[in-house]
Amino acid sequence: MSNLASSTRMNQSRSILSNTIPQASPATLIPPVENESIAIDITGFNAFYGSFQALHDLNLKIPNQKVTAFIGPSGCGKSTLLKWCNRMNDIVPIARATGSLTVGGQNILTRSTDVVDLRRQVGMVFQKANPFPKSIFDNVAYGVRLHYKTSRSELSDLVEWSLKKAALWDEVKDRLKRSALGLSGGQQQRLCIARAIATGPEILLMDEPCSALDPASTARIEDLIFELREQFTIVIVTHNMQQAARCSDRTAFFFDGKIVEEGATEDVFTRPRKQQTEDYVTGKFG
Amino acid sequence: MKDSVAQPRKHRSVARRKLFNNSFSVICLLVSSLAIVVLATLLVAIFSTGGNWLSFEMLAGSHRENNPEESGIGQAILGSLVICSICGLVALPIGVGTAIFLEEFKPKGRLLRIFHGLVQLNINNLAGVPSIVYGILGLTAFVYMFGAFSPIRVNDQPDHEIGATYFYQTKTLGGQYVRFPAVPLIQPVIKIKQGRNASKINGDKFKLNVVSASTEKSKYANQVNETVLLGTEAKLSSRNGNQVYEAKTIGGDSFDFPAEATYSQFAKIIEPITVSNSDGDTFSLNVLSKSEPIPTDPTILAQSVFADSPDPNKRSSASIFRENSLFHLHLPFSKSVLSAALTLALVILPIVIIASQEAIRGVPQTLREAAFGMGATRWQVVRSAVLPSATPGIMTGAILAMSRAIGEAAPLLAVMGGVLGTTNHLSSLMDKTPVLPVTIFKWAGDENQGFEHLAAAAIIVLLAFLLLMNSLAIFIRYRYEKKLS
Amino acid sequence: MSNTSAGQGELLGDAVSPRGKLRPRSSAASKRWQTVVVTGLVFCALVSVFTTIGIILMLVVESWGFFSDDKIEIWKFLTGTKWTVGQTQGELSYGIWPLLSGTLRITGIAMMLALPMGLVSAIYLSEYASKRTRSLLKPTLEILAGIPTVVLGFFAVKFITPYMLEPLGDFKTFNATSAGIAVGILCIPLVASLAEDALRAVPNRLREGAYGLGANRLEVTLKVVVPAALSGIISAFLLALARAIGETMVVALAAGSTPTLTLDPRMPSQTMTGFIVETFKSESVVPGTLSYFSIYAVAAVLFLSTFGITLVGQIIRMKYREVYD
Repeated sequence: MSNLASSTRMNQSRSILSNTIPQASPATLIPPVENESIAIDITGFNAFYGSFQALHDLNLKIPNQKVTAFIGPSGCGKSTLLKWCNRMNDIVPIARATGSLTVGGQNILTRSTDVVDLRRQVGMVFQKANPFPKSIFDNVAYGVRLHYKTSRSELSDLVEWSLKKAALWDEVKDRLKRSALGLSGGQQQRLCIARAIATGPEILLMDEPCSALDPASTARIEDLIFELREQFTIVIVTHNMQQAARCSDRTAFFFDGKIVEEGATEDVFTRPRKQQTEDYVTGKFG
Repeated sequence: MKDSVAQPRKHRSVARRKLFNNSFSVICLLVSSLAIVVLATLLVAIFSTGGNWLSFEMLAGSHRENNPEESGIGQAILGSLVICSICGLVALPIGVGTAIFLEEFKPKGRLLRIFHGLVQLNINNLAGVPSIVYGILGLTAFVYMFGAFSPIRVNDQPDHEIGATYFYQTKTLGGQYVRFPAVPLIQPVIKIKQGRNASKINGDKFKLNVVSASTEKSKYANQVNETVLLGTEAKLSSRNGNQVYEAKTIGGDSFDFPAEATYSQFAKIIEPITVSNSDGDTFSLNVLSKSEPIPTDPTILAQSVFADSPDPNKRSSASIFRENSLFHLHLPFSKSVLSAALTLALVILPIVIIASQEAIRGVPQTLREAAFGMGATRWQVVRSAVLPSATPGIMTGAILAMSRAIGEAAPLLAVMGGVLGTTNHLSSLMDKTPVLPVTIFKWAGDENQGFEHLAAAAIIVLLAFLLLMNSLAIFIRYRYEKKLS
Repeated sequence: MSNTSAGQGELLGDAVSPRGKLRPRSSAASKRWQTVVVTGLVFCALVSVFTTIGIILMLVVESWGFFSDDKIEIWKFLTGTKWTVGQTQGELSYGIWPLLSGTLRITGIAMMLALPMGLVSAIYLSEYASKRTRSLLKPTLEILAGIPTVVLGFFAVKFITPYMLEPLGDFKTFNATSAGIAVGILCIPLVASLAEDALRAVPNRLREGAYGLGANRLEVTLKVVVPAALSGIISAFLLALARAIGETMVVALAAGSTPTLTLDPRMPSQTMTGFIVETFKSESVVPGTLSYFSIYAVAAVLFLSTFGITLVGQIIRMKYREVYD
């Protein structure tokens, strides 16, 4: 099944990338986001590190059960916005934000937000795989044990489901009790994905998940992202434009702390409306 | 036109620079090997002096005054082990807790950040405080408890204690030791030993001040009418229907204070009472009157005393004895194993904190991020992600701190005194005990030549302990790192 | 083992995933537990705070007991040159200088030994040593650091004095030199490890720059690396100085119990710490007597000097630390 998925995506990406020169086609209507439900609603959002403003007056709607990619040159604020979506920036003392960032209809920037519960519903996968120095089973079970009361059989069913969804089960099913640090880089990252989805989040945030991996592992994870989309809303930050083109439904292009352009991925890559976007996707800078 | 800058003509001689460079290499080597030479000399010297004196008897025995051949360090080894264990039990949780607080719970508010920085600075400074100052602190805080309770004199009954049973004991005519429980009574006369709230004749209440004979008169010159000398007698009397003790201050004023029941030094035996002997048998004491003849039957003799006779051979009065249970405690702690252990814990606390902080800092940030991202609270992150990874470092730090503790002499000298041997073996936390480093110190300073060798032998034992502990640390670190990878 | 529910899970999406199926734990409970734990941790941190407060309070209060005595004038304490506290006969003199002189003499000798040797060892370990030499030298220094001070005191009084010093003639049985050498030996590992840390913190690119210009190893070390690590080295020196001042057992065993005011290192010289230990050893300390209060007065001077030096060392290390980025 995964072969079918990847070949579908390959055709998709080929069709996008082959049209690097914008064509003078009739203005296509960007599918209105209002027709689908919104997972994350960002309005008038500003983010600061101390006195440095990292993000300026952002407005963005991230649709449900689609993959949204944040692209842009380094330092433009994509990771910052991603981290605010599950309040990971709380561990940085000088980070603060104003405006509204709504997840599931609730503004999560308020002091009364239950951050612990937020992170149960919004999972995160980091740039470099960071499994705990525990067994494979304990890694996947970590979040579940934190947030839920489960029986032993419920727990092992959940671990199995997560590992299967992360396309790792077959490789580790015989060594669940062995240390997670013994896995390869790509396997560790898939383990982190399994760990993140085990708590049943609505939304998955991925911060350059493949940047530390070789092309073969990258391809497997991209397949995974494509499949997971049916059940999760995924927001992925990536430097790799081809990856964004391959994996995502919608793309937002960030530059210098602002969103320059956003819309359906195909439109952003083949028919960008701003010159800056076009320069970036064609590789003139960044 | 050629545009060039003239090169300076005087070069620094390459040969000379090379000479300096090579000489310095040699100097470095010499100096560094000097460190090895010093260590080797030290070890050889110690072993040659003390090696012959190491024996099993020495390890098990106790100190014998003026008799090095018969002395041993058995009590000292036990004392060191007990004190260091208690010290570790106290210092490690507090130290690791402080380290976790400093590293993982950094506050955001400005005021709290200043507090945080001050605590950190304070700990770094505490690490440099001489250990004798800790000894003085231990003396003031644990032994004397800032003077809040009166000092306990030898053989006196402490005012605040638990875990001690009092009994009267005497020897029967047949030579058997018997004892019976002691009951506190309001004695007719007592000696004043500590300050208390008292009242003057006119009813004014004041706090009685008790001074020892050696205290400088100037210290209490302005309160002679509220001060008495230690040991002043107070007589029982009654006022307003209550029993009180009356006495006079140094200045001449009379005062009184409420009477409390205490144990008297002696108890006269007047009538047959139930006693028990050392085997645990209980029986009724056979009390003979003055005119009765001494029984001939040895069994009866063994259970007989004379009633109320002033002749000490007639055994009619029993002296008070105290037996301490394992859980005997009194306030103030006074010179005891407990005071020593707590003082030592303060000494090694900065070391534990700094080592634990290093270990916690060594845990990669990505691990914390992963746990946070999963929705763990700060403490859950510490417990499940940080502490397991930091444990080998913390344990190594703990063992390092224990190695330091076992070799510390100065604070123990201050808090327990130079105890070389005790008649009774260690039975409760309130006892004093010799410890290895203090024993070495006293033996090294002893004029008797034999003790010098004994001291060297004791040093060998101490070094052996240290070697053992450090090997344990290396082993634990090795095992743990294997487990994690 | 897994059954069709897992397969259905993939298609239907919700059958096995916890969304909607399992009850989440209340996060309020874990937050309450966290508050309890954090309170406990704060109390742990307060122990160290109270220790310092306790030390300062007790020194101030009991020294007051010393200085408020009619017989004591603080001026004479600070400038007097004779110290006879604790001696039963003779008149009472309480000038602190003989004790200070003892401390300074011993510390001076110790620093003359420890600072050069420690620094050179650090330079050797950081810049010159091969892996093999390092694996021999570093453990030696660590072992030397772990030796209890009583052992070094014993070594000083039983070996350094009779075998090294007395053959040189005119050294008394208890003298400042023997104690100074032993304290120096104590401090070498401290200087070496702290200085080595400072030297190693200098990034390699500074060294490479100098080598690239044609400097040899000595020149790189002395002209580039050491100056860059200077604040750390000075801080190391100050910490070792504080350690030497506070050293107790070595001087108690080797330096004698006679306070002397002289520059002669061959005389017995009681230090501040030695006096305190001697008073405890005699076991005649009765609270309330002058002897008792004098302990605190001397300890106050001791504490002030070591605390002050350590503080200055900390400040230098923090303020002047090079940031290599």
